[in-house]
Amino acid sequence: MHKIWAVAKNTVRQALRMKIAIIFIILLLVLLPLMGLTASGDGTLQGRLQTFLSYGLSLTSLLLCLLTVIVSTYTVTSDIEQRQIYTVATKPIRRHEFILGKLLGVIVLDVALLTLFAGIVYTVTVTMPKFVKASDGERRHLDNEFYTARASLVPPQIDVHEEVLALYEKQKDQLDKLYASLSYEQIIKELTIRKRLEKRAAAVGQGLLWEFENVKPLGEGQSLFIRFKYDVSENPTDGQVYGRWQIGDLRQLRYGTEIKTEIWEEDRKDPIRAYREIEVQAPVVAEDGYLAVGYINVPLNRTVVLFPLEDGLEILYKADTFTANFIRAALLILCRLIFLAVLGMLAGSFLSFPVAILFCLVIFFTGTVSGFILESFDELGRGLSQVYGYTIKLLVQLLPRFDKYNPTNFLVPARLMTWSFLGRVALSMVCVKALLLLLLALLVFSFRELARIIV
Amino acid sequence: MDYAIETISLTKIFSDWWGRAKVYAVDDLNLQVQQNEVFGLLGPNGSGKTTTIKMLLGLLHPTKGHALLLGGQGTDPKINARIGFLPEESYLYRFLNARETLDFYGRLFGLAPDVRKMRIEALLEMVGLMAVARRPVGTYSKGMARRIGLAQALINDPDLLILDEPTTGLDPIGTRQIKDLIIKLAERGKTILLCSHLLADVEDVCNRIAILYGGRVQAEGHVADLLQQANKRQIVTGAISDQAISKVQKILRDEGAECEVTAPMERLETFFINTVVEAQQQARPTSGAVSTTDIGDFLTAEKSQEGILDKLVSTSEVESKPVTAPETEKVEPAEVKKPEPDRDLLGELTKSAERPDTEPVAPAESAAADLTKSDRYKPADSEQVKKDVLDALAGSSADQPGQDADEQEPPKDGDPGDA
Repeated sequence: MHKIWAVAKNTVRQALRMKIAIIFIILLLVLLPLMGLTASGDGTLQGRLQTFLSYGLSLTSLLLCLLTVIVSTYTVTSDIEQRQIYTVATKPIRRHEFILGKLLGVIVLDVALLTLFAGIVYTVTVTMPKFVKASDGERRHLDNEFYTARASLVPPQIDVHEEVLALYEKQKDQLDKLYASLSYEQIIKELTIRKRLEKRAAAVGQGLLWEFENVKPLGEGQSLFIRFKYDVSENPTDGQVYGRWQIGDLRQLRYGTEIKTEIWEEDRKDPIRAYREIEVQAPVVAEDGYLAVGYINVPLNRTVVLFPLEDGLEILYKADTFTANFIRAALLILCRLIFLAVLGMLAGSFLSFPVAILFCLVIFFTGTVSGFILESFDELGRGLSQVYGYTIKLLVQLLPRFDKYNPTNFLVPARLMTWSFLGRVALSMVCVKALLLLLLALLVFSFRELARIIV
Repeated sequence: MDYAIETISLTKIFSDWWGRAKVYAVDDLNLQVQQNEVFGLLGPNGSGKTTTIKMLLGLLHPTKGHALLLGGQGTDPKINARIGFLPEESYLYRFLNARETLDFYGRLFGLAPDVRKMRIEALLEMVGLMAVARRPVGTYSKGMARRIGLAQALINDPDLLILDEPTTGLDPIGTRQIKDLIIKLAERGKTILLCSHLLADVEDVCNRIAILYGGRVQAEGHVADLLQQANKRQIVTGAISDQAISKVQKILRDEGAECEVTAPMERLETFFINTVVEAQQQARPTSGAVSTTDIGDFLTAEKSQEGILDKLVSTSEVESKPVTAPETEKVEPAEVKKPEPDRDLLGELTKSAERPDTEPVAPAESAAADLTKSDRYKPADSEQVKKDVLDALAGSSADQPGQDADEQEPPKDGDPGDA
């Protein structure tokens, strides 16, 4: 362990004294405060904060990722190319200890720099409202929708499988004609979507009811938010839709018992195809965590109102603090950095510096568009099923999914990033993928010839 | 008995991309280096010396055969802990300063902090880099880098020292010092593998040599055996009169032998060292390495004493010179501080110029030296010029009789090559 630590310390020194890290540090130290001053967003304070947080954190993440790739590949390849490895490898240190030491050094550097820069981003984000004029309403709005970590509940998927099958049996001939080019599975898929959408549509005068369980808002007196988006079958002239909302323990109404918890009622008019939020400033959740949301399509509308499948409706409530959420977001970035550090070790263990860095950057950038890559491979792989399934698919699965696990996706809309989510990301990105790469790196490095071939 | 170094039909073939054999860098090499031997591996450039060393240390994998160091593999940390290695160039971390460099390597050996600190100071003192210890190693000249490279090879007080071209880039004093060090370490029972093509260096210190060419051993054996000329004799005397010379010549002619009379030249190395030592006495400032002839105390201390010594020194103030071990070896570091360092130095140098295993006034020895007689003996007119230096030289050894048993022999002045 002492030996690993000695190598790690040396690696940190190398990164700092060879001025690789310094360039990135200066760049961030200049850019971050500058962004704080210039970020404007949509003009509101919240927009400004969201822009700064989003860009600041993304920039920190990007630059630290690049730094990690450069330092981790450089520190291994330069020792081999400049041959300091001759004197180090002949000391009583095993090769894997050497690589682990290098890795530890890069991670220590990452943790230090991430703490520093995430700290700067956090400080600027938290203190910015103090220097900006804003109304009390705007500040309240900020506290509710930005400086918080809101958990989100979406209505559970309704099982429509039986209904779809029944429908298909009934209209088989008609459907086969209609979807002549599609296979059976595809027709079922199409029908499923249609059926689900039906369940989320309300004709004029009809209502929709969603029921939630295990709603646990943080503390007393906190608001609850219903975030929704309308869609319509016929566009109203002013592009607005009326609605009567009832939120609370609606079981009380059904069974006619006396009202224990409050029921929040609101008549609203909202634009279509835009996110809107209803703030429920009352304790409406039943003691057992039950909550129902009802919507009635009032006759003022002349259209069917429906809520899109993916993001039509969700309940948001404050579940944690902004600070805790921010810390988890920083840890998410750290997972990335650790993955890249290990990747750098692997590349450095058998490639020369320019090739190694190219290799890492390619992986890094494909990782940032991994969703697209995975999809396109899936599409391509359909014809090659078996061979593809066992070869390329496994390799593609090893790609890090930086785009999917993007911390700004959580912080900007103030969504709660749960520890279990972070744990799952850490498990897949660090404990599985990075560990596999590390083992490979140790294996390659332990058995390769370190000396260059000179005759 | 285990050999310190053993190779069994060691072969290294460098092949091209298609796997076809391209070059036999080392070809069926069988070397045995005994414990406590100073072994010289000689050969022209590209003869496979460095490749052999890299295979010994596990930096290259042999194509065929085995390489054993101290009875084990060169990649085993237990073996590595007893080895010191100086590569053909000092590959150092340019961003570290001298002290940090040694500290780093010390940590790799898992040396305790106090021992590490004591050794670093002793080694910096020994290689004369104390004054520049805070400068990044990247700014060092080649010779200075060599010195710090040597220091890192010695930080674990190795049982086996592998030196690849140790004297390249070093000034003559540094070269002399390394040679002294090798001899000192050999006296303490260490084994040294010296790889060089500077023949003079090898001849000065090695017991046994092997000459490689094309990856094969072309000649191997004891230096004395290989170089001895059994059909010649050499007599070295003090400054005797011309009459005495003619008498001797007459006697020799009666024996039917040819004879040549010259005044021996001082070695350029000795002369150079004297000059520099004088300049140092006048305290001329230098930005380079300080030349010392000290050898790190922990390196010259006997093994059994070492633990105690380390503790003793570490508890005392590091700034002061490390406590003198109760060994006679300790005379040297003190000597330099005497008012007449040049003399002492000379004594030291001439003493160490001998091979430790030769007997006093051995015929073989003088005959061996005779080999290069014509190189060393210059026309008689130089006799007057060098006379006083010669006196000093002779005097110095006379001044310190019995300092060492080897001292009895007159100074062996003038090995070839250096001059």
